[in-house]
Amino acid sequence: MSAFGKNTAAARGLSSCHVCGLLSASKHSRCPRCGAAVHLRTPHSLQKTTAFLIAAAVLFLPANLLPIMFTEQLGSVHASTIIGGVLLLWEHGSYPIAAVIFIASVFIPLAKIMMLAWLAWSVSKQSKTKPRQRTALYRATELVGRWSMVDVFVVAILVALIQLGGVLTIRAGAAALAFCGVVMVTMLAAHSFDSRLIWDTCSGEEADHDHR
Amino acid sequence: MISMAERGPAGSFGCHECDLFVDVPELAPGEHARCPRCRASLAAWPRDGLRRGLSYALAAVILLVLANLYPFLSFGASGLERQMTLLQSASQLYQQGHHLLAGLVLTFIVAVPGVLTVFLIALLMPLVFRLDMAGLRWLARSVYLLGPWSMVDVFLIGVLVSFTKIAALADVVLGLSFWAFVGFVVCLMAALSSLSPHLVWTAIEEREL
Repeated sequence: MSAFGKNTAAARGLSSCHVCGLLSASKHSRCPRCGAAVHLRTPHSLQKTTAFLIAAAVLFLPANLLPIMFTEQLGSVHASTIIGGVLLLWEHGSYPIAAVIFIASVFIPLAKIMMLAWLAWSVSKQSKTKPRQRTALYRATELVGRWSMVDVFVVAILVALIQLGGVLTIRAGAAALAFCGVVMVTMLAAHSFDSRLIWDTCSGEEADHDHR
Repeated sequence: MISMAERGPAGSFGCHECDLFVDVPELAPGEHARCPRCRASLAAWPRDGLRRGLSYALAAVILLVLANLYPFLSFGASGLERQMTLLQSASQLYQQGHHLLAGLVLTFIVAVPGVLTVFLIALLMPLVFRLDMAGLRWLARSVYLLGPWSMVDVFLIGVLVSFTKIAALADVVLGLSFWAFVGFVVCLMAALSSLSPHLVWTAIEEREL
């Protein structure tokens, strides 16, 4: 009996290339068609995901605590954090923009870290429940991750645009790089999580019951 | 020229999300196979995909050049005026000493999308017109690895957010380059969604037979 669920490609000794989709005998280490590295399952998937998630959680602190930009106006310097910027927009009545920044910069990264951590944990304790919903959750984390970069780009644009010497100048703060790091590291965490592991622990029958 | 009315060949796939082994039948143009167990996309055969992808990629490369020629945004307050170009969103960060951040911004909004577009053209030209060219497999692999790191769509939302943020305190004008860049983003996304790995790799394999 193999370690993989019945009816899987892996149980037939076939690994599927994540780049071109070709199925090949698992003795190959590179895809015979496109040359990408192939494995039955991503090696050390959970360890890599966990490592990237820890890095993301660590970077998330400076990203939110340090100023993301400095506004210099007529000699006075004002530092603003991500949350500070959201609150300011809210006070000015720009509710949709405040919501976009809050969701993209605070909610999505946090939700993504927690969801991936929960998925990795559920796989490590060999959970058998709702594989289909967990796969859908994984798909969602993979899709929304890039959108957190929006605040970094806003800073880059404001810095480039608002350079009026002593009258009004905007400079970038250290949080911008930390935040860029959070987004990249969570993207790598999602990429290294192998969702096929979710299904490996579900015995064939239960997995089959789940699909209609 | 490859006949685009062709159907996608039948084949076996391992679902990349749940690893179910699935025999996918021939696909008609426009058809899309999903995993019966987890609903992930298994294989797609977009209608006229290679030719559409090439047309959009060619339009995209022209628009990207235009997007770098004119002012992107201009900003005026207290009688002072300032214009910025697309590349300045990275170079100004560099001048302020944020070298790494500047490099990353440049990578995500210009370098990766630009290389992606050029690679798409280099890949699709030989496939559509049956030209001889080496390295198609490498190009196709690179296109799929680069894809997630192109963040032009996110950047566009960033422009709109910045625009609304400062529109209250100054006169902000969207420049010609901004509109060219919007066109570039739309064309690049359309090019990528006209293609599928199944389509591209079937075409590469057919050509090399």
